[in-house]
Amino acid sequence: MLTVGDRLPEFDLQAVVSLDKGHEFASITHRSYPGKWLVLFAWPMDFTFVCPTEIAEFGKKSADFADRDAQVLGMSTDTHFVHLAWRRDHPDLKSLPFPMLADTKRQLSSALGIIHKTEGVPLRVTYIVDPEGVIRFVSANDLSVGRNVDEVLRVLDALQTDELCPCNWQKGEPTLQVA
Amino acid sequence: MEALETLRTALPDAARDIRLNIQSVLKDGALSEPQRWGVAVASAIAARNPRLREAVLAAAASAVDAAVVEDARAAAALMAMNNVYYRFRHMVGKPGYAEMRAGLRMNRLARPGTNRADFELFSLAVSAINGCEMCIRAHEKAVTDAGLTPEHVNDAVRIAATLYAAAVSLEMD
Repeated sequence: MLTVGDRLPEFDLQAVVSLDKGHEFASITHRSYPGKWLVLFAWPMDFTFVCPTEIAEFGKKSADFADRDAQVLGMSTDTHFVHLAWRRDHPDLKSLPFPMLADTKRQLSSALGIIHKTEGVPLRVTYIVDPEGVIRFVSANDLSVGRNVDEVLRVLDALQTDELCPCNWQKGEPTLQVA
Repeated sequence: MEALETLRTALPDAARDIRLNIQSVLKDGALSEPQRWGVAVASAIAARNPRLREAVLAAAASAVDAAVVEDARAAAALMAMNNVYYRFRHMVGKPGYAEMRAGLRMNRLARPGTNRADFELFSLAVSAINGCEMCIRAHEKAVTDAGLTPEHVNDAVRIAATLYAAAVSLEMD
């Protein structure tokens, strides 16, 4: 499984981006969001019970991710037509604000190494990828365990927060002292 | 510029020197047009007087790109936070605090819409108004390291000082 420090593999996948007729699908690649952080999360399969809860939660926090210059991408190995049917069918998914990627050929899931060894479906992984395409965080849950979206936001904050101000400049302070 | 003229005439006689200084600090000098107006916008926001702020924003909008004004606004917002936080660190006098995480987002500092030197100059002007000794030293160093001269710095602080005085004078009656 790819981990911190690895580069996100290149991909070009069909995705469901809307429920509006004629605008349902778009192809999304690793280059679709230049300058943005990516939060890529996968689930085992559409039309199951744990999934819509956490997917909807990522959707509800979409503005929080946008404030942090991050694009959320959801993914499973179901086809984009199955994604669309699920989104139409499930009230919590109707207004989902981020693309659902269809990794139908399992290219991205295989490149990431996130396919469950016996079940053959993606683990519940979450990747945070920086604007340079480098993986900065990864977590993997077994198939039945949902994710905590607030924890993903906390990690994203920690990765992005740095004391960049020259105000923090100190004249050669050689000694460390505990407060 | 018209909005600034109206504002100048609104200053009381007791502040006649300020009235004249507004005119002189905002023209010519070492600063480029974007530097001068960026410093003016950041200073006017930091001075916290709505009339002054609106007049300076109107004048700046007709003189420079929106990106300059946006950088000045960002510098005013971020330095309002950083001047308080780092001033505390500098003033408290216990080194232990400097080792603690600030844990504050200031990502916009790394992405100026114009350029690093000008953004630092705007930050310096705001730091002068907010009165943090170490912040002033740090930003003066950043400005001159980025290639600007002490003349640039001096002109920027003249603008900050004058606009701050204008804000005070507008509220004295």
